[in-house]
Formats: sequence, structure tokens, C-alpha cells
Amino acid sequence: MVRLLLDPFLNELTSMFEHTTEKGSVWVTLKHSSDKSKVQRNKITSAGKELEYKCLVRATDGKKNISTLVGAKDHQRFQASYATILKARMTSLKKREKKDKRKAVDAVDKKVSKAAKPMDVDKKPQSSVKRA
Amino acid sequence: MVYIVSWDEFVEQSVQLFRASPQTTRYVMKYRHSDGKLVLKVTDDKQCLKFKTDQAQDAKKMEKLNNIFFTLMARGPETDITEVTGKEQTVQPPKRGRGRKQ
Repeated sequence: MVRLLLDPFLNELTSMFEHTTEKGSVWVTLKHSSDKSKVQRNKITSAGKELEYKCLVRATDGKKNISTLVGAKDHQRFQASYATILKARMTSLKKREKKDKRKAVDAVDKKVSKAAKPMDVDKKPQSSVKRA
Repeated sequence: MVYIVSWDEFVEQSVQLFRASPQTTRYVMKYRHSDGKLVLKVTDDKQCLKFKTDQAQDAKKMEKLNNIFFTLMARGPETDITEVTGKEQTVQPPKRGRGRKQ
């Protein structure tokens, strides 16, 4: 597990996403951690001091492991860059489906109107009804 | 472990799980580009919550959850996350706007 600073971590994460476009997966784990060993933790707590917690971020593509620590000061900046990377890389997800019913219906309507012009189809039966 | 279908339920339960055992809980995101699949998992090694999707709109929701977990984990489990969830923020701006107009 290689411990990196925030920006090198993000760069490395980006390249992991690039390497796994054809096959493989990327795992990103977030954990609340003091980054101290059990002995160190016991020392600090027995001395009556409080442990300082940070957010440990680990990433792997199954071959390489990287990690970084995000503190309270950096988490907003890191979160923003992380979100940008995810947006840029998670491009194989489906845009839209049944879940969003309104949008799905709209999309179908547009397709139908382009293909068959339903307006005309609707008018014809109506007019025929009036005539009858 | 069975996948949770409702997103809101998944968020609520995972935040609860983290608050109940902040020392052991981890939040894992797995993304598989070739299959276009995204799996989110929150576990404390006793209880496991999972959510699976192939929808791009769920990735947007995940961004909010990431935000929640970064805040909770970097600042501590007691942190108030109402700011991060954006539920209150969406209510506040229109109120302010009306106030200025009057």
C-alpha cells in the first residue's frame, strides 16, 4: 500500500480508471481512521489525549494499491476533485431508463414524433369521428 | 448479502451504520467500466449494505453520498450533515430571494 499526497493520489486514481476501461474494476474505499497502530492508540488514549481522526482513502485496480489521508481541512477540496474525476471516468453507465418515468416518456414521445408524426395520426381518426 | 433497492434507504442505513460503529465501518465503491456497473458497499464486518446500479443518474446521487462520507469521516461521526445533504440548502435560497424582493 503506497501512501500518497492528495494530488498524486488523484492522478494515480485517474490512470487506474484509464487502465481498466477494457477489463477490470476499480475499488475505492473510505474509512474513518486515526492512522495509528493499536499500540500507539493505546499510548495516546492512556495518556488521556484524544486521537486525531482523518479519512483514509484507499484505491485499487486489483494489482496496485494506493492510499491517502484526507483531513478536515482538505476534505472539501479533495471531494470536489474526486467528483470531477468520477464524472469524467464513469462514462459507461446508462444515461436514462425506466426509473425516471417522465423523462423516459418524453424521450419516447420525441422519437415517435420524429418517426411517425403522431400529430397527423391523431387528427385523422378525430376528423373521421366528427364526419361520422 | 441482498442489494438494497431504494437509494434513500441505502443512504439512511449506511449513515446510521457509520454512526453506530465509526471505527470499523468502511465505504467501498466498485466501478467496472467494461460492464458499466457501479456497486456501493457500506459494512462494519457485521452488517453489510450494498447498492448496485448501471444508471448514470445514480452516479450523481453517489456524489452526494461521497460528500456525506468525506465529511463524516474527516470531521468525525458527530458532524452535522444537513449542510452536505443539500436538503435544507434547496429550501433556503428561494426564501432569501423573496426577502430581497420585498
